[in-house]
Amino acid sequence: MTKKRESKRSEEAGTQAPPPEQIYAAELEFLAKWDDGARPPSWKLTPRAVVTFIIGSKNEALRAGGSAQVITEKFVGDRALVERCVVTLAGERGLLLVGEPGTAKSMLSELLAAAISGDSSLTVQGTAGTAEEHFRYGWNYSLLIAKGPHPEALVPSPVLSAMRGGAIARVEEITRCLPEVQDALVSILSDRRLSVPELGTLEPAQRGFNVIATANLRDKGVSEMSAALKRRFNFETIAPISDLARETELVRRRAKQIVADAGAPLGVDDAVLEALVTVFRDLRLGRTVEGWPVEKPTSVMSTAEAVAVASSMGLAATYFPSDRDVARLLPEYLLGVVMKDEPKDRGKLLAYWDATVKRRSEGDARLWKSLHELRRVLEA
Amino acid sequence: MHAFDDKPRALDPGDDPAEAIGELAGCTSPWLYGVRHHSPACSIALPPLLDALQPTAIAIELPEDLGHWMEWLGHTEAEAPLAVAAVSKHGADLGFYPFADFSPELVAIRWARDHAVPVHAIDLPASRREGRDRGGDVLGIESRLRGTDDDSWEHMVEAPATAQDAERVRRAALLYGWALRLDAVRGSGVSELDLAREAHMRSVLERLGAYAAPRPAAARSTKKVEAKSKSKAKAKDDRRDGARVAAIIGSFHAAALVPEPSLWRAPASASSETSELVSSLIPYAFELLDARSGYPAGIRDPSWQQRLWQTQRDRGDVAALVSQCLVEITRLIRAKGLPASVPDARAAAEIALSLAALRGLAAPGRRELVEAVQTALTQGELLGRGRIVAAAMEQVMVGHHRGHLAPGTPRSGLAPHVFALMEELRLPGAPRREAMTEPEDIRLDPLRSPLDRRRHVALARMRACGIPYGTELESVAAGGVESLTSVWRLLFTPTTEAVIELAGLRGVTLQQASSGALRAEAQRLAADDKLGATSLVELTANAAEAGAGELVRQWLAELTGKRLAEATLAELIALIALIDRILAGHVVGLPADAEDGVPGEIDVFEAPVMDRAMVLSVAVASVLGLAGSESLDDARALAELVRVLERPEHQGLGDGRLRWSIDQLVETGTPVIAGAAEVVRVLIGTQTPEVLSRTIGGWVDGAVDADARRVLASRLRGAIAIAGPLFESAPVFLDGMLERVERLADDEFLPRVTALRDGFETLSTASRKRLLRSLGDRLGESDARGQGLDVVTSIPPELLVAAAEADRAGRAAADRIARPALVLPDVSPTTDGARAVPEHGIPVRDRWRMILGHERDRMKPRSLRVARALDELYGRGHGEGSRDQQGGGQEQGFPTVRAWKDEIDELFGNRVFEEVAAKAALHGRVGALLELDPAQVQPSIELLEQVLSLKGGLGEAHLGRLRTLIKRIVDELVRELAIRVRPAMQGAISPRPTRRSTGVLHLPRTVAANLARTRIDEDDRVTIVPEKLIFKTRSRRHMDWHVVLVVDVSGSMEPSVIYSAMMAAILSAVPWIDVRFIAFSTEIVDLSEHVSDPLALLLEVSVGGGTHIAKGLRYARSLVTVPQRTILITVSDFEEGFSVDGLLGEVRALVEAGVICLGLAALDDRGAPRYSVQIAEQVVNAGMPVAALTPLELARWIGEKIR
Repeated sequence: MTKKRESKRSEEAGTQAPPPEQIYAAELEFLAKWDDGARPPSWKLTPRAVVTFIIGSKNEALRAGGSAQVITEKFVGDRALVERCVVTLAGERGLLLVGEPGTAKSMLSELLAAAISGDSSLTVQGTAGTAEEHFRYGWNYSLLIAKGPHPEALVPSPVLSAMRGGAIARVEEITRCLPEVQDALVSILSDRRLSVPELGTLEPAQRGFNVIATANLRDKGVSEMSAALKRRFNFETIAPISDLARETELVRRRAKQIVADAGAPLGVDDAVLEALVTVFRDLRLGRTVEGWPVEKPTSVMSTAEAVAVASSMGLAATYFPSDRDVARLLPEYLLGVVMKDEPKDRGKLLAYWDATVKRRSEGDARLWKSLHELRRVLEA
Repeated sequence: MHAFDDKPRALDPGDDPAEAIGELAGCTSPWLYGVRHHSPACSIALPPLLDALQPTAIAIELPEDLGHWMEWLGHTEAEAPLAVAAVSKHGADLGFYPFADFSPELVAIRWARDHAVPVHAIDLPASRREGRDRGGDVLGIESRLRGTDDDSWEHMVEAPATAQDAERVRRAALLYGWALRLDAVRGSGVSELDLAREAHMRSVLERLGAYAAPRPAAARSTKKVEAKSKSKAKAKDDRRDGARVAAIIGSFHAAALVPEPSLWRAPASASSETSELVSSLIPYAFELLDARSGYPAGIRDPSWQQRLWQTQRDRGDVAALVSQCLVEITRLIRAKGLPASVPDARAAAEIALSLAALRGLAAPGRRELVEAVQTALTQGELLGRGRIVAAAMEQVMVGHHRGHLAPGTPRSGLAPHVFALMEELRLPGAPRREAMTEPEDIRLDPLRSPLDRRRHVALARMRACGIPYGTELESVAAGGVESLTSVWRLLFTPTTEAVIELAGLRGVTLQQASSGALRAEAQRLAADDKLGATSLVELTANAAEAGAGELVRQWLAELTGKRLAEATLAELIALIALIDRILAGHVVGLPADAEDGVPGEIDVFEAPVMDRAMVLSVAVASVLGLAGSESLDDARALAELVRVLERPEHQGLGDGRLRWSIDQLVETGTPVIAGAAEVVRVLIGTQTPEVLSRTIGGWVDGAVDADARRVLASRLRGAIAIAGPLFESAPVFLDGMLERVERLADDEFLPRVTALRDGFETLSTASRKRLLRSLGDRLGESDARGQGLDVVTSIPPELLVAAAEADRAGRAAADRIARPALVLPDVSPTTDGARAVPEHGIPVRDRWRMILGHERDRMKPRSLRVARALDELYGRGHGEGSRDQQGGGQEQGFPTVRAWKDEIDELFGNRVFEEVAAKAALHGRVGALLELDPAQVQPSIELLEQVLSLKGGLGEAHLGRLRTLIKRIVDELVRELAIRVRPAMQGAISPRPTRRSTGVLHLPRTVAANLARTRIDEDDRVTIVPEKLIFKTRSRRHMDWHVVLVVDVSGSMEPSVIYSAMMAAILSAVPWIDVRFIAFSTEIVDLSEHVSDPLALLLEVSVGGGTHIAKGLRYARSLVTVPQRTILITVSDFEEGFSVDGLLGEVRALVEAGVICLGLAALDDRGAPRYSVQIAEQVVNAGMPVAALTPLELARWIGEKIR
């Protein structure tokens, strides 16, 4: 049930991963001033400002009311995709983000909720144990017994809270919920109201309410969803980052943050990071940068995993400093990521070293040469 | 504006777009209209602007020497799309110019027609373009404006144009062209061809008087207002002041055409070379106009562009058009059986409109439409549903509209070209153009004779066009060496001429037409989902023969690129062979040397840089998929791969992986493959010949019973298939076997001899003979081991046999007498020759004669009997030497099968006939099987396999008698299997305890659970107060689960098929499992009605044909009613002969529907699969796990799923 989140620079010491509306409070406040055009009901920002908030202002300072601010890039991806997400949320259908694990679906949904409603915490985490109460409402049983059915005894779900406040509710990993539980969302999304038969009342959704769900293609895909539910969503497929340089940059930034949180500078140089990201991309795509085919391992090779490896290497260099080159750690960590699912994957990594790394080592790159020499680590 | 300069000016940042556009748009001499060749926006804006301008002449960017076609292009009865094609007399491509209703040039031509204004083609004549760098595209502007991923023209001009003032569209387009030109000048510069074209356009405009001083602005503006009512006489008047010329040109060129051109310089050299031009106007079609079709100068989604143009022309609502397109798309999706309804279309339309609003557009454009479809309709399923959505979208957006020529349009093109060429090449039929009555054969030597090369290529091209004229006769070169000459059979008939006319649609030269035909073929295959690696390799080979260099380059890139992952080992090897031939310059159509080329007709082919190593490494990765193969072809493919890898240029490639894979094959492969892999180990140097020889000896030792003998035969076959030639020249490999053959006693040797003979049968007759001769040298004719030295005796064989029997009996009796244990001295042989060879009834040399099936006439009588019995089975062998009379003996065979059987029983023991009977039947002696006693036969899968493989060739009479045999084998096997398998499904069959109330109480468990609540009343009666009730699940739930077996019967009647049938029978005996059985190759047979009767099922299955898994799955999908309770098991080698994408799509669709899918690469007792690793891997990624299971494991798996 633990869902990885990216670690963000915490403003309050000691808090792990504060929500985006807290981290980027200043930016959100600024953007509200920057574009004061028409906004959909209950939205804190205009659609244009939401898009800008998420993909950043490309290092240009935006001006509003005498102040100027650069909006940082938070989601590395296609602008058109973010535009479609925003447009969907302003409409009548929910937004379903699907993609391989580690493609920042959850982060995008958090950012959208933070920008639109100023609150990304109305979240239901989908698991096999998620029950209908998590989408509808539960009861405070002591109050229920003491006072009988009474609005006060009703414990609203995050979804119900969002309906009341005209906010965005988030459902993480919706496909992991049992189908009959998922279907609780159908009536909410189509009728936009929730009946509470115990109280005989009807909770209407305030305008602005909508749902962002995420689904992981690796686990179950969207096959578990009923056609009725699928029809209530617009689907956006989030692809891994397509550009090597941007992915490297992202990995560097995130790994640096994590290592910085541990109080040290990132002791992994850019060449190693680029090699790391290159290996991850090659194995993920089944095709190298040069266009040579690669046998894809079964395990997930997402950007998030690359960040994990990079930061582990950084932490190792910090906590166990030695005169050894950090790059020497790469094959071991890689094996740790690749060998998760199947022992056969070792053979595939070996073949990658056999062909691709060997070829690159024949070029000028010293790094690839030393990586190729580390082949023995993989054979063990 | 900048001065007319010879060099490109260094641009300063001060180049102000606003100023530049002011200049370009404000220019009236000439008036400039910068366009993209296909553009609804520019087409819509043009007529009102022309109406206002009332030009006295219109200039169009079309080669001057093609100008005469404008009359027919603009003809009132002509219907777009049409295309002008130009080639030089000897075939070089000079240009291809498609026109649609939304092409501004065509709009201008039509306007001019309606207003009787002259139109001039002003571009550089096509005939003067040959040899110039064409910058990759015909119209120049096109490639720059078409854009790739980010369609910037679409963003800047097309999308904002909706509901805008025409003049603003003109300005936007001019600005776009100016920006591009600025980029070009700052970057690599404007190409020489473009400069030359612009220079020419300038000179023609000059000639038209376009640069004459403009008349006073005031006068012009009044005219502009009154223009519409002015008569033509008035317009003629104006010309005196200076012509008002409207130039419709690519917006890139605009800056170069103003009186004081900017960003322009005169071309370095003005080429005056001209080539003779052939041009024609051909009707065109939307599917060819689509940019993705591979034809030049297209545009994406022509049907959408057409409708957009129509809507805007009729002042319709573009937003409504978008909605209508969406509705059509959803309808098509629905027609394919997927849910998509009006609300979906509405949601998509809403997205498109909101996106347009967010982006500040007046109405959604193509981009918004595409994005909306993606978001709202694909539901995140890129493979399954996504493909159907994409197909629907393509159908709506690309369309099938075809153009028509106006009556009377001059025809020209292919036919005259072909006849001239035939005459030039002195090919029969052409000069007279009369039907030939008799076909004529010609032998060509294209690699040596230039004329023959041209003939060969011309014939290959005609073949590619589908013109029935020449057929290439198969010429089998000796020893499998590439044949250097070709033989064609030619016949010219009236059909030939008719088809040439038809083929003219695709181009005006054979080269164009054949490339077009090949491309069309590829598209047709792709549309039918049949474009797989196999067909593409074939197409590429055809394209290479036809000298279609561009296509070869493109397809090779595809094959060594994205399709690499779909190719099977055999295809990969074929691909490597093709690449090697091309690189070596052995393909006639693609000469590597300049001397061999015929410019314009057979161009020298510069082979693209290809990574053969890459193909090889993929091939190495596929090796493991052979583990379960029984086929010698696969063994040979393995050897072929090793042979390729041994080349110096591939040295050391994928070594580790290959070694590992080969070791795996030795461990886990079928006997055939394991045997082959053993030899490969020697070839790649991981094992010494000595070890191999010992291993082979071990095989012979181990062959103690029928099963082991079968294994021995298979292993030998595998090993010999690869090592045959090696054995022949270096029999050191056979040392181990030589030793066994020497040492085995007669009664040990005889049962093995069929297996040995079987193994060596892999060699051709002549090859066996050579082997025997070289073994003879080794054995030494005069050596003691030669034993008997070809004695020809006159003693009757019966007597000899009796004597041998007596000897043996005596020896056995002697052995029974107790003797003191003697310690034998260690007699280590010092030399081979000195080793003592035991005395045998059948001498060693004769043994080898039996094994290799030769020299029967020199055998001893007893040996001869055995040899006769064996020869009866194997005949004269195959391949080289099999047709000569000197092969086997010339004696009479056995009069009846019965006599033969008796002989075999007597000589070899009575199980051996069973082993050879099926084989004998394969060799045409069907009677052998009938000799088997159904009651006595030991049932085995192998026997069943062999018997079943015969059924196709048997008459009903034979079949009827065989049925008893098959029935007994099948019954036995099913019973045996059921005993093993049933327990694994026990959980599914018997009721289980549950808390849920089913009405059937599970008494023991209920009592046990409530023991704590027992009460003893006064009468000492124990009462249980049951608080927890435990029930039994209902076991008779009718047809609760559906198991669909989709079984590939394309190859042979493999064990997997037999086991599938038997499993179907066993499963169908479970009351609540509904079993379906679908056999497929490229056809589908639903055999579900026979599932309970495996005999009938197996007899119904007819084996053979290609593999089309997707089709099988599609059918299976139509059977699925309750996806969540359906198990779909696909038994196949996954060597999909059709498009792999299609297969993946089907798998996705099934998985997404929730069907529980399993792919079985093998279902037999070994669990070693023979399959395409690469495709299977993609299938796994699409959601269907693939495994090789034994029936027991399968039963367990099913048991778990339905629990």
